[in-house]
Amino acid sequence: MGSLISGIIGRTLAYSVPLLLATLGEIYVERAGVLNLGIEGMMSLGALVAFAVAFSFSNPWFGVVAGGMAAGGAALLHALCSITLRANQVVSGLSLGMLGMGISGVLGRNFEGKVLGATLPVYRMPFLSSLPGFEKHNVFVYLSLGLAVFLWFVLFRTRWGIVIRSVGENPAACDAMGINVSTVRYTCVVFGGVLAGLAGAYLSLGYRPSWSYGMTGGIGWLSIALTIFAFWNPLWGLVGAYLFGLLYQLSFRFQAHVSPELLNTLPYVFPLIALSFVSRLAARKRIGPPASLGVPYKRE
Amino acid sequence: MKRLVVALLICAVFLWFVVSGNAEEGKLKVGFIYVGPVGDFGWSYAHDQARQIVEATYPWIETVYVEAVPEGEVEGVIDRLINQEGVDIVVTTSFGFMDGTLAAAQRYPDKIFFHCSGFKRAPNMATYMADFHQVYYLNGIIAGALTKTNKLGYVGAFPIPELKRHINAFTLGARRVNPNAQVLVRWLQTSWYDPAGAKEAAESLIAEGADVLAFTEDSPTVVQVAAEHGLPSFGHYSPMYKFAPDFVVSGQLVHWEAIYLDFFAKVYAGLYTSKNLENVDYWWLLREGAVELGADFGMPINPVFEERLKSTIVNDPVYGEISVYDLVFALLKAMADPEYAFSPFTGPIRDRKGNLRVPEGVRLTMDELITMEWAAEGIVGAWPGEPE
Repeated sequence: MGSLISGIIGRTLAYSVPLLLATLGEIYVERAGVLNLGIEGMMSLGALVAFAVAFSFSNPWFGVVAGGMAAGGAALLHALCSITLRANQVVSGLSLGMLGMGISGVLGRNFEGKVLGATLPVYRMPFLSSLPGFEKHNVFVYLSLGLAVFLWFVLFRTRWGIVIRSVGENPAACDAMGINVSTVRYTCVVFGGVLAGLAGAYLSLGYRPSWSYGMTGGIGWLSIALTIFAFWNPLWGLVGAYLFGLLYQLSFRFQAHVSPELLNTLPYVFPLIALSFVSRLAARKRIGPPASLGVPYKRE
Repeated sequence: MKRLVVALLICAVFLWFVVSGNAEEGKLKVGFIYVGPVGDFGWSYAHDQARQIVEATYPWIETVYVEAVPEGEVEGVIDRLINQEGVDIVVTTSFGFMDGTLAAAQRYPDKIFFHCSGFKRAPNMATYMADFHQVYYLNGIIAGALTKTNKLGYVGAFPIPELKRHINAFTLGARRVNPNAQVLVRWLQTSWYDPAGAKEAAESLIAEGADVLAFTEDSPTVVQVAAEHGLPSFGHYSPMYKFAPDFVVSGQLVHWEAIYLDFFAKVYAGLYTSKNLENVDYWWLLREGAVELGADFGMPINPVFEERLKSTIVNDPVYGEISVYDLVFALLKAMADPEYAFSPFTGPIRDRKGNLRVPEGVRLTMDELITMEWAAEGIVGAWPGEPE
């Protein structure tokens, strides 16, 4: 029984990492008032660049850095279009997604089916490793967990957080207060891109060390849904990502006893039900999307 | 004057494109349509490898391909290949392309269509398949000998007759040398290519005690997961030895080029035309060289496991006291025999509900093999569509 529970927790932690990272990034992007639908593409680009660099230099950490930078660079493109040029953010984000998928698919041809010698190592953490399910993990597992708490703290307990949230709610007021709206938005969009890239790097260097086109498997799209589910709160994002990961891997674990068709729908149906409950709560507390989400800011 | 020159130039360039776009005189132009990306390292990759071999072997052939075609969009792609690329033969390589290919075959009665793994044919549409059930049987024997927990794990993409046949063959092989062996099955039911699903499915099998893994999914994920846990596994479709040299025991390898080389040569020679393909159905196995047992081409069993398999002696109903290693090669020879000296589906075989599926001394026909829905004794787990 103990090994069953620790196994379930352990797999949930490992599976949820890319979902959690991408969701945390998107929460910050949307909190600053920008909608970026291109996560899947940035993640794919990050996965490819991370793999290619780690493969060429036989060092996974180079890959992690390069993957994050590549996706951050791609996000900069979206920032340029949506913040400076004030283009339609839905269109810009979607095209970024397609561009990222396409470019990584074409450039990744020569890396498909390659074997990565140097993969991300697994660690035993002091104290944590005595908890069930935490025995040993890829460093990203601890990193993403800590990041969720840290980002929540920054967003709701620091001045930076107030600035970011204000820019997403009322950029005109922020501008009048002397806050540079563009700088805040640029920073958040690029930060979101970097996290999406790190999620991709985790996939191609740790979770399943290899590169192939389409390996992100829709996680980027899921994270956009999860951002809404989490009400733009990093801690709810943590809950949502782990809930999805738990149900996802349970669907395989219980397949011998419950119909697989039913199990396959659970990871999608259950958050939907949870969402409808939480949204009633949110309506009562008047929590909603950032007021200026998706609206380009233009000084009057 | 200037405008006229420009207009003429544009016309010339356009004409040049039109002319050069057509196939060279006397060459046979073949268009391949793949369901996945050619880099999937599974099904579509294997077809594309074969395409390259064909093009390198026959100087009179020219090929083009379109990859990652959704199954519902095949007709439009066929239209494009025929009208713009001017191909003579269209090869569609997924079961889901079947109806689209048939519709196109009726629309272009002069072109030749070659559809993989389906059962619908037309005067200008032939079918083909390289089937693995014999190889799975041999892999099952090896797995049955290697397991210590008596639990083998199998990750399957979709519960369709092809996979059920393969899992049954794998189970029958395992229980030939190890009557206590069970095969735990997990279905993905999402896509032929689903690394994340394959990873979690494999992890859940290992958590339940499976210590040898086999699979049907188009990526080396299961092999990688097994190796992470230090467990042996079997590659699928492409040589996966390099992903875990110490842990890939063997696997199923395909030689689609064997079928393609035969078919295209017969079309080129005029033996097959757009009028006489109604009954042309390639069902090629070990005997024809369309499939191979191996962790890598030319490596039937990974040398790392050779000692262990040679020292494992079983009492076989046919061969008596024999090592598992020798048994595998004896059966490999019998199945590659021109007369099909042995078939894994030879009775008596009961399904897991106790029904006698193959009576004593009877061998299943090809039609019975390709419509198989029952689960053999020893299979544990969901089995959608299982007959009563």
